Amino acid sequence: MIVLLALAVLGTLGLGAVLVVAMDGRIAQLAGQFARQRIETEAPDRLNRDLAPVWYLALAAAGLSVVPFAPGHALLDSPVGIVIWGTCEALTIVTVFLHGWAPNAPFPLIGAYRYVAIALPVMLPSMFVLIAAALPAESLSLLAIVESQREIWNVARQPLGLPLFAIVVLTLTLRGPMDFADAADIATGTSADESGSARALWEVARAAMLVSASALAATVFFGGPLGPALPGPVWLWIKTAALVAAFAWLGRRIARTTPSRMLTILWVVLLPLSFLHLAISGVIAL
Amino acid sequence: MTDLLVTLLAAFTVWTGWRVFRVDSMVRASFSLMLSFIAVGGIGVLLSAPYIGVATVFMMAVEMMVMAIFMVMFMMNPAGLNPMSMVHQHRFSIGAGVVAALGLGAAVLLSSPPSNPVLSDADVVAELGHELLGPSMLIFETAGVTLLATMVGAVILSSRQGRFGNADEGSRPPGLSPDGEPAGRKPDNGGEGHHHHGGHG
Amino acid sequence: MTLTIILLGAAALIGIGLYGALSQQSFVMLMMGLELMLNGALLAIIGFWSLSLGGMPEGQLLAIIVMAVMAIEMAIGFALIVAVYRKRQADMTESIGTLKQ
Repeated sequence: MIVLLALAVLGTLGLGAVLVVAMDGRIAQLAGQFARQRIETEAPDRLNRDLAPVWYLALAAAGLSVVPFAPGHALLDSPVGIVIWGTCEALTIVTVFLHGWAPNAPFPLIGAYRYVAIALPVMLPSMFVLIAAALPAESLSLLAIVESQREIWNVARQPLGLPLFAIVVLTLTLRGPMDFADAADIATGTSADESGSARALWEVARAAMLVSASALAATVFFGGPLGPALPGPVWLWIKTAALVAAFAWLGRRIARTTPSRMLTILWVVLLPLSFLHLAISGVIAL
Repeated sequence: MTDLLVTLLAAFTVWTGWRVFRVDSMVRASFSLMLSFIAVGGIGVLLSAPYIGVATVFMMAVEMMVMAIFMVMFMMNPAGLNPMSMVHQHRFSIGAGVVAALGLGAAVLLSSPPSNPVLSDADVVAELGHELLGPSMLIFETAGVTLLATMVGAVILSSRQGRFGNADEGSRPPGLSPDGEPAGRKPDNGGEGHHHHGGHG
Repeated sequence: MTLTIILLGAAALIGIGLYGALSQQSFVMLMMGLELMLNGALLAIIGFWSLSLGGMPEGQLLAIIVMAVMAIEMAIGFALIVAVYRKRQADMTESIGTLKQ
């Protein structure tokens, strides 16, 4: 069983990442990166520069390993599954920062710095949304959260949850309106002084993180593996694929604003909104 | 097996804790401290305290990220390209640290705490929840109110706008009599602080 | 045996933290020393709770309180650093020597 679940996690992550890259129309571009030479910056922190894409990929895998692929079966069957996912989110921010800090160059550092300033306040709505999702289940375990959605999905019970979590997903995967790390306006930011296989691996890790976060959103808001007729993993894959497409579309459609205005939006609008969301969900769960 | 892993993690947390004060970059120092905390969180998970362990890792990842932000903001040398040593009263500190560690270590070796391990089938996360919102609710709520007071205090302390004007423009209180001398202590000389910054290489 | 190793580790962390808190000139590094001492306390609490107290829920509560203390220390510490920096452009303990008077 464990072997099967591990294969499911790795397969979903690998295949999903390839599909995401294909959907973005960047397969040729990434494949071309592998043939390129690596740029060397002056006095970089080699350890962190080389390990950052690996950490990113590992965090995507760790986040996906708490997601149940069938009712009652997850690779990491932990009583605090949702806290483990939150930890992966926090460590992702650290990873992106290290990726920008390690090359010891201006554009990557600017990208890393402003990304952290934006991503840390995003952690707060993320926590409130996840706690709200745990309320009807009366448990921090993702298996229990899936079970609690047999009657009605959380997306209907907690309508504010999914839009708020979409912002978290876009932040974690450095996409569209929340891409303050690798954006074009600062010459691709944390990746500006990187090319070759490390750059390609970083892009693959971003895609894998989108798969992982979408799978979590599918579990928390759409009942994960629950569904009629088809087996559990198939339902999870269908929902994850739909959410990946939706998040990618959102990322392309919404424009990015300046970091300072985004900070105001996060603290003044989204934080009270997520408070409200938690309070409403709590009252309904009573 | 658990014993071996716990021993390795304990050694790792001490080693990374030591590295905090040996590495030459403050960003490295703060993430070294984060590794130390992550090892403690790992020990918590191994010793059947999953919530405490995972929450430690989560909290500390965010806290050390904030630390790194402040380092890049304030330090003259955030990346750590130049060698630096910013220590004072070094011998005394080493002595105090060694004495504290040896004293506590001796106390550990000389005492024999009772052996009463946690039951393997106990639902510790639910127990913690019932404790927090049951018998110990007052303590928990006090911590919550203290955190709220901290937030208010931190915002006021770090606010640029002071009572007598902007804090970075040498704000002065109004005079005791109309058009009189400003009340309060007089600054020694205006821009003294500027020369200090970066002077302790 | 495990408990002894954990407590020795905690003692070493507290010693290193004390060294750092006393020796560092930079405010931020000084706070890292304090955090390291709290880390040692947290490690000792987890060890005692798991191996010596039979999983008393109050032990976990104490660990949560230690985490709250860390958060408060960070928030107030950084607020003070920002306030001193605004006033003096300084981030070293030596530059606020007038506090002695």
